[in-house]
Amino acid sequence: MLSQRLIGRTAVKSAFRPSGLPTVVNASRWRRGYATEADRDLVIIGGGVAGYVAAIKAGQEGMKVTCIEKRGTLGGTCLNVGCIPSKSLLNNSHLYHTILHDTKHRGIEVGDVKLNLGQLMKAKEQSVSGLTKGIEFLFKKNGVEYLKGTGSFEDPHTVKVELNDGGETRVTGKNILIATGSEVTPFPGLEIDEKTIISSTGALSLDHVPKKFLVIGGGIIGLEMASVWSRLGSEVTVVEYLDQIGGPGMDTEISKNIQKILKKQGINFKTGTKVLNGEKTGDGVKINVEAAKGGKPETLEADVVLVAIGRRPYTKGLGLEKIGIELDERGRVIIDQEYRTKIPHIRCVGDATFGPMLAHKAEEEAVAVVEYIKKGYGHVNYGCIPAVMYTFPEVAWVGQSEQDLKKAGIPYRVGTFPFSANSRAKTNLDTEGFVKMLADPETDRLLGIHIIGPNAGEMIAEGTLALEYGASSEDIARTCHAHPTLAEAFKEAAMATYSKAIHF
Amino acid sequence: MFGTKALRAAQHAVRTPSIKFIGKRTIPAVVDHTPQPHPASPTKTLPASFLSSHATFSVYRDHAQQFGPLRKTITPNAGIGGSPAVALGPVEPPQGVYFDRNDLPERFRRQPLTPDEIEAIETGGGHLLYRGSYL
Repeated sequence: MLSQRLIGRTAVKSAFRPSGLPTVVNASRWRRGYATEADRDLVIIGGGVAGYVAAIKAGQEGMKVTCIEKRGTLGGTCLNVGCIPSKSLLNNSHLYHTILHDTKHRGIEVGDVKLNLGQLMKAKEQSVSGLTKGIEFLFKKNGVEYLKGTGSFEDPHTVKVELNDGGETRVTGKNILIATGSEVTPFPGLEIDEKTIISSTGALSLDHVPKKFLVIGGGIIGLEMASVWSRLGSEVTVVEYLDQIGGPGMDTEISKNIQKILKKQGINFKTGTKVLNGEKTGDGVKINVEAAKGGKPETLEADVVLVAIGRRPYTKGLGLEKIGIELDERGRVIIDQEYRTKIPHIRCVGDATFGPMLAHKAEEEAVAVVEYIKKGYGHVNYGCIPAVMYTFPEVAWVGQSEQDLKKAGIPYRVGTFPFSANSRAKTNLDTEGFVKMLADPETDRLLGIHIIGPNAGEMIAEGTLALEYGASSEDIARTCHAHPTLAEAFKEAAMATYSKAIHF
Repeated sequence: MFGTKALRAAQHAVRTPSIKFIGKRTIPAVVDHTPQPHPASPTKTLPASFLSSHATFSVYRDHAQQFGPLRKTITPNAGIGGSPAVALGPVEPPQGVYFDRNDLPERFRRQPLTPDEIEAIETGGGHLLYRGSYL
């Protein structure tokens, strides 16, 4: 009977409802039922390095994924106002500086050399736009839905998105990833206007070369920007609270050496100096400083002041308080070993949570968090994350510094090799710097690698691989390195660590 | 005797690198998902709220979602996937037991007919012509 009725009904449908006729049956009856109300496997808030990498990885793993980004372009701070534009300026300002001061004794005489700052900035913007559009293409290729807007939690499974083009929408996800990154830490009392008192963002797009450029904070960002504007003609002074530059992670011996090299390049340093306050004057800024341990106050004048004292997690407006997600005293989202917040399906990676604020660390975490969601297992080795400062020469390191080992009471053996004894560095006439290796005296296992030198940022990849695989310094020393290359200095430093270097 | 000495010396000369090929990477058979402090956490502790929200792994599993809820009943010993399909017995209902179609997922259930459809069937379609909606 039932089957007869169904057949009859189907016949009625085909006979009486040809297309174009009014619909008799309620369309909602044909709606497919889902196991849960959440319709995306993963919703990502933030399209920076952590967010976009997680989105692509999730797309590759066959997950239905949505990425929400309010900037209007993907790539976050790194691509838009961080690593990428700064590398463009560093590379081109180095070329300018080399042509101006260094090519003559290499046998190349150049006529009238002029700086075209507008074109320098245009070249930077070209690099940025090419890369950000590239990510949009990768989103399409991997089936990632991209929403341009500001996301905030409505409940633990729903994110409200205020769209940049107006209106709002809601997305629900079985898993939600917070990847909102970080922002510049302001200096109390110094209001950033991005003209005379600037952040790293403003330092990447000044419309003139300031006569006097003052940098508050001698960390990596501060020193890279100090290098750019010093090469372009500014008189640069760096004020640093600590006794060493490069931040607390840099090996002290390396820090002292790079400070000497940068000083030779014309950058002035005031380490162990505290900035008290500052005020804008008619055409510049006055900054009052004193020795960190107490001393005579001093006033420094500058046309432009860069505030580069660090970055802080950015979770403003996310509505975390609405769903009870906790932050620590520095505003970082508290997570467990699988990046879960206390609401297990909401996870957090990148600058918004623990660990160094580095783009490559965020990328590693982005891949790992998707693997945790999909496969239940991911991998990031926090003891093996390289750091690079793109001054000239570059500074790069991975693993533990000598002061770390001393502090922890871990015995170690040191081996060094200077670039002045390396054939390739000599032919390039770039011989400043050295490679320093730290290894366990018993097992010879590598503990840390620190490099100042040309191409140190590329060379550290070999050290990171060695450290990740638990190599000994002898393993590196017995690995054949091509001649003549800068990498031979790396091999020789390994030889010096377990035995003796040949060329030094 | 000298030959043995030389062989022994040669054996000692063979160097064993610290780096070893560990084979293709695989997911460990047992992974402890119990919340632990993040390796980069400065305090190396988790707030009490983490522990109270899922104090034990089974409590966590009940709350966690991953392509749907992670139910603790889905274990190697019980529940769906706990035993091979062949061991689950025949799919036909036992004697005297009938399956209700409404127990199936929504899309397989009987679709309710609207009064218009009933009328259309009863009148052989004349109802629609009478209403004028067909014209």
